[in-house]
Amino acid sequence: MINILYFARIAELTGKRTEQRALPAPVTVNAWLAQLHEAYPALKDIGVLKVAVNKKHAQADTVIHDRDEVAIFEPVTGG
Amino acid sequence: MIAVQQADFDAGQLIRELHERSQGQAGAVASFVGYVRDYSASQPTQELFLEHYPGMCEQELADIAQQAMQRWDIVQSTIVHRVGALSRQQQIVFVGIASAHRGDAFAACEYIMDALKTRAPFWKRETLADGKAFWVQARSSDEQRLEKWTQQQDAAAQTRIPEQE
Repeated sequence: MINILYFARIAELTGKRTEQRALPAPVTVNAWLAQLHEAYPALKDIGVLKVAVNKKHAQADTVIHDRDEVAIFEPVTGG
Repeated sequence: MIAVQQADFDAGQLIRELHERSQGQAGAVASFVGYVRDYSASQPTQELFLEHYPGMCEQELADIAQQAMQRWDIVQSTIVHRVGALSRQQQIVFVGIASAHRGDAFAACEYIMDALKTRAPFWKRETLADGKAFWVQARSSDEQRLEKWTQQQDAAAQTRIPEQE
């Protein structure tokens, strides 16, 4: 299982702030995002989706492992 | 010093504390304060809500401050970022840099803000006076500002090569 966190507009579109999902085998961020889009078609409206794995910004080829914390969000807008 | 908090801050007090922590080594303190402004020209902003990713925010800010320490001659730094519901004209963020000289203090302060804008996981939700609410979208100009620092570093690295040979 991986622990997923949704933030800001992504939390509104998925209707959740957190959830746990099974991860049968390690996958890249890109492959995993494709699965997430199938689970949440509303995400198609988002231009750029960013991912953090274990509280660090991830790239498309970053590998997600079992028990990782994976966060999904739009580009940040603080400051 | 890094803080992510709901409470407001006293910029004057943060500057005094920053200078005291530098124990006589700082001849310069540069600071920046970011405020809630009217997002739209047609009507005032009623509220700005700042959502954040607890834990990752602090890590990213510490990492950004560390990078600034490696690049410039900095004695001490302070970053304070507020979260939660903020009203019009309230303070959002404080960055303060204590350095021996003003050049490093100015540059590091600007770099930290530019890096924070594109890396620290905060998201702004605007509510306008008529009640219309929306998540603020990131601007490509913020990315370009951060890239400017990378280009400067690359240029500096290239000019150093002949000296090493």
